[in-house]
Amino acid sequence: MKKVCVLGAGSTKYGKLSDSIADIATQASVSAIEEAGIDPKEVDASYIANVFGIADKQVHLGPVLMSNLGISEKPSLSIESACGSGSIAFREAWANVAGGFYDCVVATGVEKVTHTGTEWTTTYFAYCSDFYYEGQAGASFPGLFASMARAYLSEFDATEEDFAMVAVKNHENGMLNPKAHLQKKITVDDVMNSAVVASPLKLYDCCPFSDGASSVVLCSEEFAKAHGGNYVEVIGSGRGGSPAALQGREHMTTIPSTKIASKQAYEMAGISPKDVDFAEVHDCFTIAELVDIEDLGFFEKGAGIQAVREGRTKLNSDISINPSGGLKSKGHPIGATGIGQVVEVYDQLTGAAGARTVKDAKIGLTHNFGATGASCAVHLFASV
Amino acid sequence: MSAKEKFAENAKLGKFLAHKCTKCGHLHLSTVYFCQKCGNRGSEDMVLGGTGLIATYTIITVPPAGFEKFTPYAFVVLKLDEADLRISGFMGGIATPEDLPVGTRAKIAGFDERGVIIEKAVK
Repeated sequence: MKKVCVLGAGSTKYGKLSDSIADIATQASVSAIEEAGIDPKEVDASYIANVFGIADKQVHLGPVLMSNLGISEKPSLSIESACGSGSIAFREAWANVAGGFYDCVVATGVEKVTHTGTEWTTTYFAYCSDFYYEGQAGASFPGLFASMARAYLSEFDATEEDFAMVAVKNHENGMLNPKAHLQKKITVDDVMNSAVVASPLKLYDCCPFSDGASSVVLCSEEFAKAHGGNYVEVIGSGRGGSPAALQGREHMTTIPSTKIASKQAYEMAGISPKDVDFAEVHDCFTIAELVDIEDLGFFEKGAGIQAVREGRTKLNSDISINPSGGLKSKGHPIGATGIGQVVEVYDQLTGAAGARTVKDAKIGLTHNFGATGASCAVHLFASV
Repeated sequence: MSAKEKFAENAKLGKFLAHKCTKCGHLHLSTVYFCQKCGNRGSEDMVLGGTGLIATYTIITVPPAGFEKFTPYAFVVLKLDEADLRISGFMGGIATPEDLPVGTRAKIAGFDERGVIIEKAVK
């Protein structure tokens, strides 16, 4: 297996964007290729993560992107894995370079949904559940995570105010990220006083619906060295699955796929959770970040809440969780999110993260899942 | 009749149709084709009572399309009395968490365009 590096990264701003889905995917990809300092003709293939292209009148995004990049003769693969599409596309890109099939590939994630409005976005997102058992019965995505939150409240010594602290922390980080969707400082009271979406989760416990695109260039180590620019090394990659419906899980306060994927990634890298300096985790809802930091091994099950209370997950504390602002503040264009996390890691490990820099960071982790964690990918990166 | 149709017919009678693996005896959803535990294809139908306890739930106030007229309502996960299995579904008439503490006794009460219908039950 070859060593794989990330040689360039780029993102559009996340938020409500007016350009088309194909345009924003192209803009992010152009930034990544320019940052990598490569000739687009050196790109062997691309992997495009997207879920609801149909809502912006464009599916089969791969060839459209390649045509826009002037490399229409190169192959592309479109990947849909709900909110985990980005990291799963990254994994496929990584595997093809690691396996020696390609020397240099582009992985791009994109989503454009804000124009559809809350009701229809809520409805479309519910199609990512195991519809027969969940979406059909009226479960929204906030509702499914709210069910996990209710279980967490019932099982551990946690309060809704504790959940709110996760949102406050991620907004603090997002304030330092010029590309974040919600650049707004909030308080625990703001969260507690926001409208209930699905009890016990309130509006400010939820990430926003966002438009946005992110892109990275992956390549072999020889290719990266030959180009001489900044790059980071992928040191671990893992994938896992969970029962698609919550009812299939014995415990509602853990996501099995996160544990499986992270175990594989840690083993491949030969490191343990305590070696990780910062992590971009899948905080689609505040409860998700708590479950994630426990499942990823940063804290014992049930101990995440105390860590959040003590500020141990803030920027430049014990472990910086979501320095970008996370899905909660940076935004969640679902196809782009998993790639956007890699963009953040690239920026952090190459000294381009500005005011939100994690000091002396050497190792970063990305964790991104689809639906309620039915699919998941975890990656580990090291500075060079 | 498909596996899902058979499951729904039983739910309409307040029952839970499970599959028992003919090789290892593991009980699983009747809509799962291979035994989750041993991978065996063979299974026999096992009709279980639809009663249990609420394992977790949410009360939805921002619904997907088609559910506006039921809002607020609960989406619940019911842990069955007779097996280590859970079934989720729709529960109407729930407005506040006080209406439905975790551990509340409930039962499968039907199946319609809202999927599995679950209601509170008295022991």
